[in-house]
Amino acid sequence: MKLDRRGVLKALTAIPVVGALIAVLSPLFRFLKPNDKPWGIFTITPDLPQGGAQVVGKVSQLAKPWDSFYFTYVQKFVQYTPEGQEASNVPGVAIRLPKKVKFVNSEGFVGFEGETDIVLFSRICPHLGCIYNYVSDWHEVSAGYGGFRPPGFEEHALMACPCHFSIYDPEYPDNPGNVISGPAPRGARYFRFEVHGDDIVVTGAEVGAIAKCAPGAVAGAAAPPRET
Amino acid sequence: MEAVLANLREWYQDRKQRLDLWDETQTARQDNPMYILGGLVWLSWMIVIVSGIVLMLWYIPTTTGAYRSIEHITYDIPFGWAVRGLHKYGGDMLITCITLRIYRMYFAGEYKKPGELTWMILFSALVLAMISGVTGYTLEWNQRAFWAAKVILTVPTYYDDIPLIGNLGLGHAIAYIFLGGPALGQGTLTRFYSIHFGISIVLAIVAETWFYRTRRRRLNVSAFVIVLVLAFLAFVSFINLPDLGQWANNNRTPLPVLSDWYFLALYQVVKYMPPLWAGVAPALLIGYGMLVPFLDRTKETLPTRRPFFFVVGLLALIYWIGFSALIMLNIAVISRDPPYIWGITVIVLFAALLWELAYRRRQAQRAAAAAAAPAGASRPAPRPAAS
Ligand code: HEM
Ligand code: FES
Repeated sequence: MKLDRRGVLKALTAIPVVGALIAVLSPLFRFLKPNDKPWGIFTITPDLPQGGAQVVGKVSQLAKPWDSFYFTYVQKFVQYTPEGQEASNVPGVAIRLPKKVKFVNSEGFVGFEGETDIVLFSRICPHLGCIYNYVSDWHEVSAGYGGFRPPGFEEHALMACPCHFSIYDPEYPDNPGNVISGPAPRGARYFRFEVHGDDIVVTGAEVGAIAKCAPGAVAGAAAPPRET
Repeated sequence: MEAVLANLREWYQDRKQRLDLWDETQTARQDNPMYILGGLVWLSWMIVIVSGIVLMLWYIPTTTGAYRSIEHITYDIPFGWAVRGLHKYGGDMLITCITLRIYRMYFAGEYKKPGELTWMILFSALVLAMISGVTGYTLEWNQRAFWAAKVILTVPTYYDDIPLIGNLGLGHAIAYIFLGGPALGQGTLTRFYSIHFGISIVLAIVAETWFYRTRRRRLNVSAFVIVLVLAFLAFVSFINLPDLGQWANNNRTPLPVLSDWYFLALYQVVKYMPPLWAGVAPALLIGYGMLVPFLDRTKETLPTRRPFFFVVGLLALIYWIGFSALIMLNIAVISRDPPYIWGITVIVLFAALLWELAYRRRQAQRAAAAAAAPAGASRPAPRPAAS
């Protein structure tokens, strides 16, 4: 296109047209994601699920090393249905490790203040969101989850995902729950918890699953209230 | 600029005239059964639409009702099993026919001028049919449906990790829009129902407009073939309508878990690759498919006269079958295989490139020799080397 007078005039008239187009399209985006403010659809922080403090089990259930139990932590998610919100379970696993560790991962999320030999992982796989299993015998991992053979120091209970065979080591040095095989880009996500007497109380979960979010963000008690 | 636009317009008009989507009249090879695929695509599509509309009479698109309603359709409604079978196997047949036709067009070089637009439309049709397939399976709301949908809709969130661009939140926005919220639930089912229905209905209207304007035939196959197809689909539904499996359970992922057959190879790729790559790879594959008519620019249609593109197609076919087999037999070792696969791919592609170069050199030599030879007065000019 030549930049003569006619070209310039054409370009100038195009501006309001484009502007009007954008003005029309903006609410259309929000039509698809109605709880957003204008342009909010591209914001980085998604709606954080809400949980609060919940007792999920007892310390006495974890008497010996590698004892474990499954639990679910219930969070509310925003859904674009008439109810607006839907309860959703975050399945978790609690494990007694043979020795005390710092329950902090390489993303900087602190699951427990101080040292602990009890660790709580979200079982939502950080790869693509399936629910992984706690497998107390690593032979089963080799047999059923893509032929992974752990090195000697990791021949203990592991966590393994049925979908694409990511394997996590609950006792991984300096990063408990780290991925040791498979396509997952990071280690298992943590719950933030406290121990009150015999009760294990979850106070929040590392944001994850579908609502993957900025590292270190906490959903649950600390989440900001949602505007409606 | 103006000239470019005019050229484009002319190109588009010409290729539109020569579209050969369903009747396959542009290729005079009616005796070959591979050339009734166009008609079969239309036939299976119509079977799927009609049976789908009947299913809608009974299907309940809610997380609590979907599974039960399909059980009800299958076991209580008179001939419900047949309608469901026709829909399910009709969908499988549709995807099979499009896939076969794409491979046929690839290996026979039919995507070359003037078939570029036909090829591009068919290729998009394959993608849309596969989307219809996943959204359809999700409607069953069983374990396989639930986890397939969850995995597929988590892939876009990795688009926010593309280096250099930075996190714009676009990947999450895509996932949110399809999920109808941050997690898989009723919102997702409703949206999938709408997409599943919408793709076919909108395209059917477009196709009808095209038929109306061009007077082309919809179904260029004999009544015998039509009856055979219907009887075959009904028979398969009768003897083997798959069970629904288990109701979706968001607390337990089954082991093993498999996808629909046409996603198996991709599923294996997702196991082998970091998730961002696995999300970008299909986009590259689609990009290659859409652009191949413009990349492979010689006039040659014989596979051995365009070695590189022939080998790429062959490799795609072998990987597609091989990966599907690997995942079904569950014999892949995730931590060991990827370097071997990369190695083989690079070596084969490099060999194909050498073959192509050698072939072209030979062509050029032959042309030069022919030009140097004492030419008889009326000898036809030698074919120029492929360029
Ligand atoms: C390209 C076109 C389509 C494909 C590939 C396709 C594929 C599928 C598949 C694989 C299922 C799951 C079937 C099962 O296992 O039971 C399904 C379900 C369903 N489809 Fe489609 N479909 C297509 C078009 C349509 C259309 C046009 C409609 C409606 C007019 C429709 C309505 C439904 C309904 C109501 C169900 C749920 C019932 C059921 O699962 O049996 N589909 N579709
Ligand atoms: S979702 Fe767990 S490995 Fe892919």
